[in-house]
Amino acid sequence: MVAVGFGALLVVARSAEGPLDDPDPAYQRPGLVDLGALPKPAPPVTGDVPAPGREAVVFFVRPDGLQPLCDAVAAVDFGGEPDLVVVVAGPAGSCAGDLPVVANPAGRLAEGYGLREPADGGSPVGYAVVDAAGQIRYRTLDPEVDDLLSEVDTILRAV
Amino acid sequence: MSESSSAPAAPTATARKVRLCLWCVVAVIIELGLYLSYRGHDARFHWFTHFFVGSAVALLVMSAVALHNRRPVPVPLVWPVLGHLYAMFPDLLFSAGHVAHQRWMDVFLGHITTHFVPGRNLTWYVAFLAATAVYLGALHRLRSRER
Repeated sequence: MVAVGFGALLVVARSAEGPLDDPDPAYQRPGLVDLGALPKPAPPVTGDVPAPGREAVVFFVRPDGLQPLCDAVAAVDFGGEPDLVVVVAGPAGSCAGDLPVVANPAGRLAEGYGLREPADGGSPVGYAVVDAAGQIRYRTLDPEVDDLLSEVDTILRAV
Repeated sequence: MSESSSAPAAPTATARKVRLCLWCVVAVIIELGLYLSYRGHDARFHWFTHFFVGSAVALLVMSAVALHNRRPVPVPLVWPVLGHLYAMFPDLLFSAGHVAHQRWMDVFLGHITTHFVPGRNLTWYVAFLAATAVYLGALHRLRSRER
């Protein structure tokens, strides 16, 4: 009975996955750098990112997620002071402070960074971490990234 | 509204001693706490993988130990919890120590690669069921010997 109960719990937990989650949860926040085809060269997001000798975090959000991400990032102190940039799958927006925001309605940047398609088939919400050599070392969907920025810091320490 | 003084007393044969299984309660509380912690980190998938893998290995070890010693292992619920804690140890390093996962962490019951097997957690659930069947079979064999 207990074993069957775990099966039921497994089904319930699986059905609780959200539309922004990765259809294959093994690839969502794996915590491991250089997974799969990585590392690979990071496409330019702005004229300054990625820059040689500097680590970078490229966040991918939908328009309604921009402000919460801006607020969350502003409250976090990443060690090593990486370059941070937000790519919005929609019209350009702005963040308070110096956090650059890039509009990318067609989603080509997310494609270039190899972010996976979320369950709802829309634009990915997540981030990629680029090392000082300009290589993508980590990428993941993460609809809860606002609350899990400490994980970004952990990955930055690993690259 | 009067009570009958001739009401039969509860049969003593049905009076059972209720014994608090402290280690059972502790094991369940630990697993519940771990599940809530993983859920809080939006990581239930990972809890299931490491629970099924750790518990399955523990059940197989329990079966072997029980058959070798010719008696059931003590505190049986604690073994799966220990197996789970061992399998998930890199997650503790990740969340508490800010240590990202690395390939060598597969020494913790395949902590990295177990997530990527075909079938994902369904596969490990089947493995967990199979290991449970093995353990129950070992207990049945021990009881058969006692008769």
